[in-house]
Amino acid sequence: MIITLLVFLPLLGFALNAFYHFNSAARKREPSVWVAGLIASSAMVAAFVCALIAWARLKGSAGVGPVLEESLFSWMNLGALHVEFGYRFDRLSAAFTLVITGVGALIHFYSIGYMENRGSARYFCYLNLFCFMMLNLVLGSSLPQVFLGWEGVGLASYLLIGFWSKEMANIAAAQKAFLMNRIGDLGLLFAMFIAFKFAGTLDLARLAGFEFRPDVATVFGLLIFLACTGKSAQIPLFTWLPDAMAGPTPVSALIHAATMVTSGIYLLARLNPVISQSTTVLLVISAVGAATALMAAITACFQSDIKKVLAYSTISQLGFMFAACGVGAAEAGVFHVVTHAFFKALLFLGAGSVIHALSGTQDVFKMGGLRKRLPFTFWTFTAGWAAILGLFPFSGFFSKDMILHEALVAAHGNPWVFGVLAFSALLTAFYMTRLYVLVFFGESRLSEEAGSHVHESPLVMILPLVILAVASLAGGWFGVPVHLETAHGEGASSVSPAVIMALSLLIAGVGAFLGYRKYSGTIQVEATKDPFRVDEFYGAVVGRGVKSLASFFGRYLEDGFFQKILQVSGAAVDLGGNLFKTVQTGSAQGYLLMMVLALLGLMFGLVFGVNGYGN
Amino acid sequence: MTMLEPWMMLVVSLVIFGVGLFGLLVRKNLLVMLMCVELMLNGVNLSFVAFSKIHNSLDGHLAVLFVMTVAAAESAVGLGLVIALFRTLKTVDSDQIQILRD
Amino acid sequence: MEISDSLSFLLTLPLFAMVLSLVVPRAVQRGYAIFASLLFLALTVYESSGILFATSAATAARFAVEHQLQWLPQIGAKLSLRLDSVSAWFVVMNALTAVIAFSSKGVWYRKSPKLFTALGFFLLFGLNTAFLSQDLIVFYLGYESVFIPMIFMVGIWGENQKASAVFRFFLMSFLGSILMLVSVFFLLSRQVKDGGAVSSHLGSLIPVAGGLPELHAKLAFFGFFLAFAIKVPLVPFHSWLKDVYVLAPFPATIWMSAILSKLGVYGMIRFVMPLFPQTMGTYQGVLMAIAACSVVYAALLAYRSNQPKALLAYSSISHLGFVMLGVFTMKNQGALSAIFLSVGHTMVSALLFFLLSKIDERSEGLDLGVPRGLSQQFPVLFTALFVVMLASVSLPGTLNFAGEFLVLLNSWPVSTLSTVVAGFGAVLGAAYMLKFYQQMGFGASSTDPGKQGAHAEDLSGFELVLVFLLIMAVVVFGFQTSIFLKGN
Repeated sequence: MIITLLVFLPLLGFALNAFYHFNSAARKREPSVWVAGLIASSAMVAAFVCALIAWARLKGSAGVGPVLEESLFSWMNLGALHVEFGYRFDRLSAAFTLVITGVGALIHFYSIGYMENRGSARYFCYLNLFCFMMLNLVLGSSLPQVFLGWEGVGLASYLLIGFWSKEMANIAAAQKAFLMNRIGDLGLLFAMFIAFKFAGTLDLARLAGFEFRPDVATVFGLLIFLACTGKSAQIPLFTWLPDAMAGPTPVSALIHAATMVTSGIYLLARLNPVISQSTTVLLVISAVGAATALMAAITACFQSDIKKVLAYSTISQLGFMFAACGVGAAEAGVFHVVTHAFFKALLFLGAGSVIHALSGTQDVFKMGGLRKRLPFTFWTFTAGWAAILGLFPFSGFFSKDMILHEALVAAHGNPWVFGVLAFSALLTAFYMTRLYVLVFFGESRLSEEAGSHVHESPLVMILPLVILAVASLAGGWFGVPVHLETAHGEGASSVSPAVIMALSLLIAGVGAFLGYRKYSGTIQVEATKDPFRVDEFYGAVVGRGVKSLASFFGRYLEDGFFQKILQVSGAAVDLGGNLFKTVQTGSAQGYLLMMVLALLGLMFGLVFGVNGYGN
Repeated sequence: MTMLEPWMMLVVSLVIFGVGLFGLLVRKNLLVMLMCVELMLNGVNLSFVAFSKIHNSLDGHLAVLFVMTVAAAESAVGLGLVIALFRTLKTVDSDQIQILRD
Repeated sequence: MEISDSLSFLLTLPLFAMVLSLVVPRAVQRGYAIFASLLFLALTVYESSGILFATSAATAARFAVEHQLQWLPQIGAKLSLRLDSVSAWFVVMNALTAVIAFSSKGVWYRKSPKLFTALGFFLLFGLNTAFLSQDLIVFYLGYESVFIPMIFMVGIWGENQKASAVFRFFLMSFLGSILMLVSVFFLLSRQVKDGGAVSSHLGSLIPVAGGLPELHAKLAFFGFFLAFAIKVPLVPFHSWLKDVYVLAPFPATIWMSAILSKLGVYGMIRFVMPLFPQTMGTYQGVLMAIAACSVVYAALLAYRSNQPKALLAYSSISHLGFVMLGVFTMKNQGALSAIFLSVGHTMVSALLFFLLSKIDERSEGLDLGVPRGLSQQFPVLFTALFVVMLASVSLPGTLNFAGEFLVLLNSWPVSTLSTVVAGFGAVLGAAYMLKFYQQMGFGASSTDPGKQGAHAEDLSGFELVLVFLLIMAVVVFGFQTSIFLKGN
C-alpha cells in the first residue's frame, strides 16, 4: 500500500491543517505558520520517502516495464464502463512523483519563511491539497482519475493564485486560470468519451495499447492536446500563466513552474503510443510547441516584472518539451520536465527571496546590485541561470541539448522545429541574462524605503535554495529517467550529438553575451509590453463575445420574446374577459332571465332530440 | 259540474308557476320577488298532487309536505336576508343591489 | 415482488404531521417541523433501505414493493403505490428536501408559522403521492396538489410583486398539466373503445399507447411532454421560473428547485419513456438539442444575472438540462445516470439556496454588483458554500461530477453535437458560479457588520451539522457510485 500511502499523506496534511485553521478561527487566534508549515512539510517529506521506497522497489523488481499497482475500489461501473480507483507506479509516474514530492517538500519548507506574518494554515492546506491532486494525476490508473487530478490541481491553483483574496485583481487572475483550464479540460472530457466509444475502456494501460482508427486517433489526439494546452499554458490557452503570478511566489514555483504545468507532458507521454498513431497530431504538437517556445521567449524579453519574465520563460520551456513530444521524443520532453523542475523552481524561489528581501518590489528596473547584499540568493540563482541557459555541466545542458538533437534526428523530426527551438534558446539566454544582470549587477536602483531594510532570507528559505541549486547542477547526470516505447524509425536526418552540443553551447554563449552587453552599462528603464497582444484579443473576442451573447439572449429572448409571449397570452385572456364581462351586469334578475332561457333551451333540446340525446 | 281532471290541475299549476316566474323576473321589490318564489313553489306543489293522482301513489303528497317545510324555512331565511340587505343598503330594490358586479 | 401496505404510511404520516402542526405551539414550530421531517426522512430511508443499499439491480428489484387499493373503479383509478429503484430515490430526496427547507429559517417563520409548517407537510404528501403512484390519475392528483401549498407559500410569504409571478407560474404549469390530463383521458377513451377493462394503471396503459396510430401517439406524447417540460423546465418553457424563484421565500425556492423540478424528470422517466418510446425516438434529436440548448442558454443568463437568487435559478435550469440530456438518451444507462445526477442536483441546489438564505440573514441585500468580502467574516459558512459551489460546477470527486460524466458519456454516442454543446455549458457553469462566490466572498471586507448584531455569527449548531453531513454525502457518493449504479 505504499503508493496509496504516498498519495494520501498530503491529504492527511490537508485535513490536519484544515482542522487547525478552523480550530484557531473558532478561538479567535492566529494559527502559527510554523505549526501549520511543519505539518504540511512533514507530510510531504514522508510522501517523498515513500516515493523513494517505491522507486527502489521498482528498480528491484524484474521485468521489462515494471509496475507497482494498487487498486482501491471500483469507482464507476455502468454498462461496459468499468472505472477502478487505483494507482499505478511505473518509471514515468516515478519521475513525476519524485519531482512532485521532492521539490514539493522543499517548497513547503521555503513557504514557512516566505509566508511568515502573512501566511496561515489555510495556505498550507491548499498547498497540500494541490500535492494530493497532482499525485492523483500522475499516479491514477484510469483517465477519469487523471481527470480528477487534472481538475483538482486547477482548483488548488485557483485557490492559491487568489490566496490574497482582498485584492479583486488577484481573484480575477485566479478566475482566468480556472476558466481557461476548464476549456482545456473539455478536451480531456471529450477525449474520454471518444476513447470509451471506440476502445471501450478508460484504463490508461489498456488504452495505450489500443489501435484506433486513423481518423479517430487524430481527433482523440487533438482533444488530448487541447487539454494539455490549457494545463501547460501553450498556444492558444497560455495567457493565464503570466496572470497567475498574482499568487505567492512559492506557489508560482511549485504549481506554475515545476509541477502542474508539466502535467500536459505527462499526459502526452502516458498516451504516447496513441498519440503517435497520427502524424497530424504529432505535427500539430511540434508546431504549437515550437511556436509557443518562440512567442513566449520574445515576450519575455519585454517584461520588467521579475516573476513575469520567469512565467514567460516557463511557457517557452514548456514549448520545448511539447516540441520534443511532437517530434516523437517524449522521453526527452520528460527529461526536460525533471531538470526544468529543479532549475525553474530554484529561479522562482530565488526571485521570491529577492522579493522578500525588497519587501515586495518586483520590478527589475528597481533592483540592481544585489549580488553583495544577498550572497546566498545570488549564488544559487546563478546555478539556476546557468542551468536554464544550458551551460555545461548544469542539468539544463543535457536536456535541452537532447531536445535540440531529437528535433533533427527523431522519427518526426523537422529542421524547422529545430531552427525555431534553437532561436528560442538564443532568446532564452538573452532574457535570462538580462534578468540576472538587472537584478544582481550594476548600480543599486532601489527606492529609499526598499533599500533601507534589504536582508538575506532566513535559513528555512536558503536551505531549499541550496538543495535545488545542487540538483540543478547534478540533475542532468542521472540521465534520461524514462524509456518510452516510441516509433524509432528512420530519423529525418542524422547529425552527430557532438555538433549539436557545440552549437547549443555557442547559442547560449551568444545570447548571454548580447544580454550582458546591453544591460551591463547604464540602464534605460523599459516599459513592459506584450508584443503579441493575445490577451487583449481574447478579452475583446471571447470575453466580450460571451458577454454580448448573454446580454443578447437576456434582452431579446428572456426579457423580450418570452415576455412578449406571456404578455400576448395575457392580453388575449384580458380581451376574452372584457368581452364576456358585458354579460355580467350584476343584476340578479338578469341572471335569472338567462337561467330561465337556458333551461328552456335545454328542455327544447331534450324534447325535440337535438344531437340524438332526446329520443 | 264536470269532474276535476288531473290535466286541469296541471294547467293551473303551470299558470301559477308561470305567474310566479314572471313576477320574479319583472318585479323589482325583493319582498315581492320572495312572494313570487313562494308562488312558484306552490305551483310545483300542485303539480306534485296532480301527478300523485295520475300515478295513484302517495309519493307526491310526501314531496309536497317536504316542499312546504323547506319553503317555510326558506322564506324565514329569505326575509332575514332582505332585512339585512335593507339595513346595509337602505333599499329593497333589486336594480339598486348590484354589489356582485366586477 | 412483494405486496405490502407498509407504503401507505409514506402518505399518511405527512398528513398526520400536517394536522399535528396546527396544534403545536408557535414557539416550537420550527423545532417540530425539523424534527418531524427528520424522523420522516429516517423512516423513508428505512423503508427503502432494501432498494437503496442493494448491491445489484436484481436485489433491488426483489425489494420493490407494490400496494394496491380500489379507489374510483368507475374511471379505473386505483391507489396503486410502488416503491422501486426509480421512485425510492425521489421519495428519499423529497424527505431530505423537506428537512433542508424547514431548516432554512427567516422572517417567514415569524408570520403564521403553523400554516407554513402545515403547507410544507402537505407538499411532502402531494409529492410522495406523485412519486409513488403507478396510476396516472392518482399521479395527476398528486402532481396538481403540489400547486396549492406552493402558491400559498409564495403568495403569503413571498416578496413584493409576487402576484404576477405566482399567476404566471400557475398558468403555465396548469396549462401543461391540463394537457397531460387530456392525454390521460384520451388514452382511457382508447381503452374503452378497444373494449378492455378501464384502468389508468401505467401497466395497462402501455399497450394502449403502443397501439395508437402515429398522429394520435404524437398528440398524446406532446400532452405529457409539455407538462413535464414546463415543470423541469426545459428552455422554451422556462419563462415562469425566474420570478417565482426570486420572489418566493427561501424554503419555497428550495422546494421548487430541489424537488418540484424532479417531478418533471420523474414523470419523463416513469411515464413518457415507457408509454411513447417510438414517438420519443422519432424526436430524439430535437429533444437532445433542446436539453443541450437549455444548458447553454440558462448558463448564459445566469452569467448575466446580478441577483444571486436569479443566478441560482438559471443555474438550476442549466443543470437540469444535463439531467434531461441523460433521460433523452432513452437508454437504461442514460436514465440511471440522470437519476444519479438528479440526486446530486437536489442536494446541491437545496444546499446552495439554504446557504444563500443564511447569507441573506447576515448581510444587507444580495447584489452581485460589488464585492463584499464576507468570507472573512463568516469563514465556515463560506467554506461550505465554496465546497457546494465546486459540487455544482461538477468538480471530479463529487456526486455531481460522476452523474454529469456518466450522462455525457452516455449521450455522446447518441448525439455528439448536443453533448459538445452541453459541455460548453459546463465551462460557463464554472464562470457564473465563480462570479457568484467571488462577489460575495472576496474583496475587501465591507464595514457593515451584518443585518443585526445577533445574526452576525458564523454557521453553527444544527445547521452546521446538517450542511456538513450533506457535503460529506456529496463527496462520499461521488466515489461510491455503486449505490446508484448497482452494477447495471
